[in-house]
This record gives sequence, C-alpha cells and structure tokens, in this order.
Amino acid sequence: MGKIKKLFKNQGTLLLMLVPGLVLLIVFKYVPMYGVLIAFKNYKASKGVWGSDWLDPLFKNFITFFKNVNCWNIIWNTIKVGVVSLVITFPAAIIFALLLNELKGNRFKKGVQTISYIPHFISVVVICSMLNGFGSTTGLFNDIREFFGMARVDMNNGSKYFMAEYVGSALWQTVGWGSIVYLSALSNVDTSLYDVANIDGANRWHKVRHIAWPAMVPTATVMLIMNVGNILNSDYTKILLMQNDTNRSALDVIGTFVYQQGIVQGKFSYATAVNLFSSIVSCILVVGANMIIRKTNPENSLW
Amino acid sequence: MKKKQSNKIYIGSRAFDVALVIFMLALCVVFLYPFLNVLAVSFSSNSMITTGQVTFYPKEFTTKAYQVLFEAENIFRAYGNTIIIAVAATVLNLVVNSLMAYVLMVPEFRFKKLISVLLLITMFFNGGTVPTYLTIMNLGLLNSWWALILPNAVSAYNVFMYRAFFKGISPEIREAAKIDGAGELQILARIYAPLSKALYASFGLFSIVGIWNNYYDALLYIKDANKQPIQMILRKIVYSFATTSMGDAQVMIGNGELNQLGVQYATIIATILPMLLVYPFIQKYFAQGMQVGAVKG
Repeated sequence: MGKIKKLFKNQGTLLLMLVPGLVLLIVFKYVPMYGVLIAFKNYKASKGVWGSDWLDPLFKNFITFFKNVNCWNIIWNTIKVGVVSLVITFPAAIIFALLLNELKGNRFKKGVQTISYIPHFISVVVICSMLNGFGSTTGLFNDIREFFGMARVDMNNGSKYFMAEYVGSALWQTVGWGSIVYLSALSNVDTSLYDVANIDGANRWHKVRHIAWPAMVPTATVMLIMNVGNILNSDYTKILLMQNDTNRSALDVIGTFVYQQGIVQGKFSYATAVNLFSSIVSCILVVGANMIIRKTNPENSLW
Repeated sequence: MKKKQSNKIYIGSRAFDVALVIFMLALCVVFLYPFLNVLAVSFSSNSMITTGQVTFYPKEFTTKAYQVLFEAENIFRAYGNTIIIAVAATVLNLVVNSLMAYVLMVPEFRFKKLISVLLLITMFFNGGTVPTYLTIMNLGLLNSWWALILPNAVSAYNVFMYRAFFKGISPEIREAAKIDGAGELQILARIYAPLSKALYASFGLFSIVGIWNNYYDALLYIKDANKQPIQMILRKIVYSFATTSMGDAQVMIGNGELNQLGVQYATIIATILPMLLVYPFIQKYFAQGMQVGAVKG
C-alpha cells in the first residue's frame, strides 16, 4: 500500500497526464478489438458481446463465407486490386525520387516536388467525382479518346475501365508524396562518395546504380514489407464510391463486402468474421514478407 | 581518343538533362491539368460541355452551375460543420498525443514499457469496421460529431514521433526546471512544446487535412443532413444527382440551360478550393513532417 502511495506522490502528475490518451485508447481501440469476438457469436445487441451465445459450430460465419458463390470472386478482386496497385505505384515513387535527384536546378526541382504533392491532398470523394466526370461521355478522358480517334464511351458503365481508373488515380495521387521518404534517404548520402566516383570516371548511371540506389534500399525494403501487408486492405472507401448499379458485384472487394453486409444489412457477426479473415491473412503476409527479407537480406528486415 | 570519349559522355549527359526537364514539365502538366479542366468546365456553358470543347479555360463563361449549387445546398453550413469538427479533432489530437509522448519520454516513469506496447499493438491490429461501429453505437455517439472526433484522436505513430523529438531535447533542461519548482505540465507547455513547434505544426495540418477529406466516418455515423461535413455534400451531388431535389436544377438540365457535369464540377471546386488556397503557404510543413518521420523513425 505504501508503495502505491509513494508512486502517486512522485509520479501522480505523470499518471494524470496519461489519463485522457489511455481512456481514448482503451475505449476506441481495445474495446473494438475485444468486440471481434462476435465473429464467433450470434451477436444480439441486447445481450452485449460477452452475453451473446457462441455459434455452433464456432466457425459457422467463416464456413458461410466460403460457401458464398461470390466468395472467391471477392477474394480474387481484392488480391488483383492490391497486387496491381503495389506493382505499379511502389516502383513509381522510387523512380520518381531517382529522377528528381538527377535534376540540376534546385528551384526547378523544388517546384516540381511541390506540384507533385498536390494530388495527395485530394479526398477520395473528390478523386472519385473527378473520375466519374472524366469518364462520362463528355468528360476529359473521352476528350482524349476522341483526340486519338477513338469513339466516346461511357466509362462509368460496367467494370471494364475500373482497374485503369483505380490504379491510374492512385499513381497520380501517390507518386510525388511517396517519393519524399526516398528523397530524404538520398539526402543522407555522403557527398564525398560522388567526388570519389567522379575521379574514378563513373558516369551518371554508375552513380545511380552504386551510390543512390544502395542508399535507398533500406527505406524501400521497409516500405515494401508494409505495402505487402496492405495488399488486402484495398482502398474500399474509394471502391465504394466507384461502384454503381452496373458494376457493383463485379467490383466487390472484402472491404466493400464487409460494409455492405455489416453496416447496410446489419449482419454484424458475419461481417466481423469476414473482416477478421482478411486481417489474419494480412498478418501472415507481413510476417512472410519479413521472413523472406530476413533470409535474403538480414540487415534490412523490419524485425 | 580519351578526350573524344569523355566529350561523348558529356553530350549524352546533357541530352539526358534536357530530356529529364521536358519529362518533368510534362508530369507537372499531368498533375495540374485535371484541376484546370474541372475548373474550366464548371464555368462553361452547357452547349460547350456537351460538345466536349472545354479544355483548360472556360468557354462561354457562366456562373450558373455555382448559382444553382449555392441555392440548393447550404455549402457554408457544411464548411462550418467541417471546420468545427476539424478544429476540435486537431486540438484534441495535439494535446492528447503530446501529453502521452512526454510521459513516455520521462526516464523514471514506471509504466513506460507497458504503455508503449499498448500503443504499438494498435499500429498493427484494429477491431475493424463493425466492432468499431458497434462501440460507437453503444456509447450513444451515432449522429454526433464526437463520433468523428474521438475515435482517431490517439495515434501511436504521432506519439512515438513526439517522443523521439522530445528525447532530442537535453534532459538537463527538465531537471533544471524541476529544481526551479516547475510542474511536469508546465515543463511540457513552456519548454518542450515551444521547442517542438515544427512537429506540432505538421501534425496539426495533417489532422486538419485528414478531417477535411474524410467522408467514410460521416457516412457511417452521421445521418442528420444538417450535420454533414462538406465531403458528404459532394458525394450526394455526384452520386445521387437524379434523386436529389436540387431545386430547379433538373428542369434546367432538361431544357439545356445547365449541364449536370458543370454542377458536379462546381461542387468539386467548392470542396477543394479552401485547401488549394492555403496549400502554397502550408506545403513546406507537410514535407518537413514527413522528413522528421523518415530521419527519426
């Protein structure tokens, strides 16, 4: 008892300073984590998370999901969207950083950077509204199509142009902003390395290959591991906005399915189970990616 | 012979420089052109839009789209809602996270490890959409702005960033202040916070932009039309144009006085304009914040 009293006397203010954050953390992060239990329960609001009955069999919701005719379509869509986005946007930021690093004029470089960040600050609603407008028969995309002699089409109809629009807009939004971390890695390069390389008669490609690139590898590796973990977390808030009556089921990913089943239709337990499934797979992906890196390139792994 | 070769490399290098500048200029056009096109269409006449003639400047200038928009929707109330939410969330975010970071920085604090682990876990796991929704519902926060303010206030990333920054401040300063009789709260407010102004500015701006751009939380939690933030107005106009009751808009579109795309684009401009106007002044803080993260993280 005396010990606790002493603790409060010495560190009481510190503990008090911690209270607001701790309360918010527990209520809005840990209570929902505990709520994941309803994936295995027949959740009734009146009985609460703990009081609701366990499902029999326990994995009933998961079994229902895998028996759903659309299940594999949804999983395939999720993987496709995640992998294509990763493969295109991840290297783009690195290449953009390397190119910026090769620019001579400092003011010109700063200007290009500033402009390249702007799309990052555009909300998903704005970007989807723009896509919606550009894809309509009188929109910008069709103006461009016409310029190249192609017919005007309603690109919002069906799912044919979804992937190009989704990934293209993601690229547009992330390439500049994503390059920041790589540029700051490049700024840490010892400039004397370049002087030595010049004396050795290295050309620009040699310098990129042997000085700039190695300096970026640790950052790139961390980014890659984290991005791999996010493959299944497709930007469903964006897809939700890109869906319309002509393409809804064709564009469904896990995130939109969870929203549709859980929030719109009120199947709380079922939606939570589907979400839990995707979280577990994400976890396995991060650990797996880290393991591969640790085997091949130990000093760059995340842990 | 050798000189000739190095000359060739020099010319090749110059050619690359020129090509690179042209490429970068082209990229800038790609980054900016969509905005100009949206702006131009929003100020152009129906006949120019439907015939696809508008490029990056208005043709047959008209403000009809904006008139219709501002008559049908209370844009200023939506701005007001968004600003109230953003300010509240940002103040809370700055105060709560830096308080936690300060406590975790104090070497003699007892539960440092435990709290750090509790924070770290939230970076990798979360309850997901439905359990979070149920928590907020059970707290009676549906249809309340608190549902947009409280849940994301604590950010483990921000806490760790503040802590890294605070650790860079010499601990002797804290000891000296304590001997002079200053309390912990005073030390944070008078010494640590002012020394970390750049970090506060960056996180504050990120928070404001995040709230300004968020629609999903409002979609989940806010049903009352009068409480909706600006992004939800845009969503409504773009995605339920046919069903929304926008005054005479439908009639005007029907008889060719107004273009639907024009109204949608006018709404986009109304949504992004406040951000674009302040962007030039605040952009350096964003890049700064990212760099702090990259170096100290």
